[in-house]
Amino acid sequence: MAYATLAALILATFLPFAAFLLIMIFTRTKPALSARLSVGAIAVSFVCSVLLLTQNWTAPGPVEYSTQFLASSGLNIQFGFLADQLGLLMLTIVATISLLVQIYSLGYMAGDPGFSRYYAFMSLFAWAMLSLSVSRSLLQIYIFWELVGLSSYLLIGFWYEKFSASQAGKKAFVMTRAGDVAFFLGLFVVLLNAGNLGVLELNGPAARGMPHEILTLSALLIFGGIVGKSAQFPLMTWLPDAMEGPTPVSALLHSATMVAAGVFLFARLFPFFSLSPRAMGIFLAIGTISMLLASTMAMVSRDIKRVWAYSTISQLGFMIMALAAGGYFAGVFHLTTHAGFKALLFLCSGVFIHHLETNDIYDLGRLGSRRFKIPTISIVIAAAALSGIPPLSGYFSKESIITALAGLSNPLWLLAGFVGVFLTAYYSFRVMFVMFFPKEIEPEKVHAQEPYDAGYRAMAGPLIVLAAATVLLGFFEAPLKNFLAGIIVIDLQAPEHDWSHIAALVLALCGIALAWFEFGRRGAEQVGFIDKIPPLYHLFAERWYLDHAYRLFVDLVIDRGISWLLWQNDNKVIDGTIDELAGGTVEGGRISAFLQTVMIQYRLLAIFAVLVFLAFYFFFQKI
Amino acid sequence: MIVPLSHALILAAILFGLGVFCAVARRNLIMIVLGIEIMLNSASIAFVAAALRWQNLEGQTFVLFILAVAATEVSVGLAIIVYAFKRTGSFDPGNYSMLK
Amino acid sequence: MTSYGLLFYVLAAVTVAATAVAITRRNMVHAVVYLIVSFFGTAMIFYYFGAPLLAALEVIIYAGAIMVLFLFVVMMVKVDVPGEVMLPARQWIPAAVFGLIYLVVAFLMIFETRGTEAPLNLFSASPRDFALYVLQNHWFSIEVISLLLLLALIGALQLGKSRARPGTGDEI
Repeated sequence: MAYATLAALILATFLPFAAFLLIMIFTRTKPALSARLSVGAIAVSFVCSVLLLTQNWTAPGPVEYSTQFLASSGLNIQFGFLADQLGLLMLTIVATISLLVQIYSLGYMAGDPGFSRYYAFMSLFAWAMLSLSVSRSLLQIYIFWELVGLSSYLLIGFWYEKFSASQAGKKAFVMTRAGDVAFFLGLFVVLLNAGNLGVLELNGPAARGMPHEILTLSALLIFGGIVGKSAQFPLMTWLPDAMEGPTPVSALLHSATMVAAGVFLFARLFPFFSLSPRAMGIFLAIGTISMLLASTMAMVSRDIKRVWAYSTISQLGFMIMALAAGGYFAGVFHLTTHAGFKALLFLCSGVFIHHLETNDIYDLGRLGSRRFKIPTISIVIAAAALSGIPPLSGYFSKESIITALAGLSNPLWLLAGFVGVFLTAYYSFRVMFVMFFPKEIEPEKVHAQEPYDAGYRAMAGPLIVLAAATVLLGFFEAPLKNFLAGIIVIDLQAPEHDWSHIAALVLALCGIALAWFEFGRRGAEQVGFIDKIPPLYHLFAERWYLDHAYRLFVDLVIDRGISWLLWQNDNKVIDGTIDELAGGTVEGGRISAFLQTVMIQYRLLAIFAVLVFLAFYFFFQKI
Repeated sequence: MIVPLSHALILAAILFGLGVFCAVARRNLIMIVLGIEIMLNSASIAFVAAALRWQNLEGQTFVLFILAVAATEVSVGLAIIVYAFKRTGSFDPGNYSMLK
Repeated sequence: MTSYGLLFYVLAAVTVAATAVAITRRNMVHAVVYLIVSFFGTAMIFYYFGAPLLAALEVIIYAGAIMVLFLFVVMMVKVDVPGEVMLPARQWIPAAVFGLIYLVVAFLMIFETRGTEAPLNLFSASPRDFALYVLQNHWFSIEVISLLLLLALIGALQLGKSRARPGTGDEI
């Protein structure tokens, strides 16, 4: 039994990696075979993860397989698998979304010259994220964390011929790396003070012995990695640019893998983080700021993928808020449901973009996005879930977040949450109304038939599955709560705040109504209230000038400061030294060339002289 | 009863000194090799005398090896000298300065 | 001092004189011929010291083969190299100084060493005894030496081979 679990874990995590290697080495020139390999591997992973989840549904404690990786005095690093409830849940989410996205990509990426490469990277991505979710120690998490970053870089810059794509890939890589530096430093702090990097140990006794200031410091440093990875304030601007990648990649990136890794890490170390209330307060603030900022940005964007990107940031902010407010279950549950409906949103948008070849929501509406029945219905379901409309999954998870926020003593956070709910509903239905109730249409396009080729079917299948999941997942709230209660004490009898649920729901409906009034009703001019206030509009459209601030920062500190110093160092110190060294060598050669008289006989003479002196030495030594 | 060992050693020493002088002082590659031969020869004399002094054939055996090594050294050395002479047209070691 | 003992000094004088003349000859043919005389003297000293086989080998190899090789080389290339400074002062003065120091030290060392002043006993190792001794105790070294000679043969052949490419007329 135990071996079966281990075997399933190994299969689930390493098969995608094997697929990656096989594709890169053998089948790069055979796209069909590559796709089959990759999809096959992730399908087996999916089956294994589902089996594991059902097997361990009632398991009392975490299942763990580990070996000592490094052990020296006071150091203890284990490698292996940690299959507790959270890990298995994440494993299943990742495997499911990856499988669906890969099937979807069969249609979306068909005919792309880099088809094999795409599937290889997808497998790499899946491997890294699957392994991350069942990692035993923080070091192992860090390794796969970086691998996730690497593969997302590869995928965002997948169309590397496009300048903006490769730039976006670089931006994503560098900005997340900035957070990862903090993460790594945090690991050091933890390792030095707790002598252990195991997840279980840190959540358990090992961390309790740490001094309070150190605990707060390490929590903040590790949270730096989360900020980078989950695109929270102030490292949030890479995520919208990451839309340059293929849309399925965005779907994967935004739902289950890249950005979810940050929230997952938060949930992973939740007991550790909650030892430091001060750090939790900061996390709460960061989550709230990101959530509100991103929501405002989403209100004015015309690019459909960017809207969803901003919404991802804001939903991640919600999760961070929930976790920081102590709502462990709320955060994880929202992570789960969000993975479903956000993937659905992106995949649906992908269908429109693929067939209509534009990202602009007004153009999409004008070109008749309505005729694609399945994506249209699915995206409306997903948007409703995002807005928190019952009985969809998003409603339940948002409700639990609001509950968690309402439990805080300061009502400010709850207020921010309400604002977020309102804005979310407003911007998501703004997109819906603009796309499906266009002001003017191009008739010949609109009345074209919905295409029913193999590619379309490959794309529509995952949409239906995800839509079903979005509808049904909300009803699994109670079982999930019981399941997750296995690893952490969740107060199942949390005080209910009925009025706050109703308020949230009413606010969401208000948001939709406002969107309908401005964009949906007959004769609406389809201009949002923000657009009418130019300063606000520019502020939001320019992303609160965050990129400009970075630019300024980079110009001032890095270009003028550090680069200048390095340049001086290069010119004066290093070049100077090298020049001196070279000159010295030449001079030394010239000097030693004087010694070289060409005459081998002088050397003979020298040998002879030495012999004579040696003879002297031995002679007088004997006497 | 013949000469003492010391006289034989003095002979070897004088011959060795002459060989060294030849090798160091003459500006001619062939003469340098000749000087080396003289030195080897003086060593042979010392060995043979020592073999007689201690009534041991080991010394004579060594001379046999010296002969073989000398023959080897001369054949290869002279071949190199001839080769070098073809390149530079001179036996003067002072002319071999291409590497400087 | 017996008359037999006197013979050593005669031989030694001849050897040293021949060597000294040889190393001062400008003409290399003369030098080689004088050196042959010197080697003959050495061979006789070997015989005198009871090594008849070595004496024969000295004549055959040193005075015969090696010197003939020298003669060949000297005669093959231009004999008198014009402009050779016989004994440049920069070289022979230091050589002579060090040589003198060396001789003084050697004399001192030889006379200071106990047990060298006793006259040597007459003794002769017959070629048969010598050969038996060598082949019983040093057969492996003999093999190594034979290998060395083979290598020398190959090396000399390789060096002596003309490097001219066919048709280019390039000598070296």
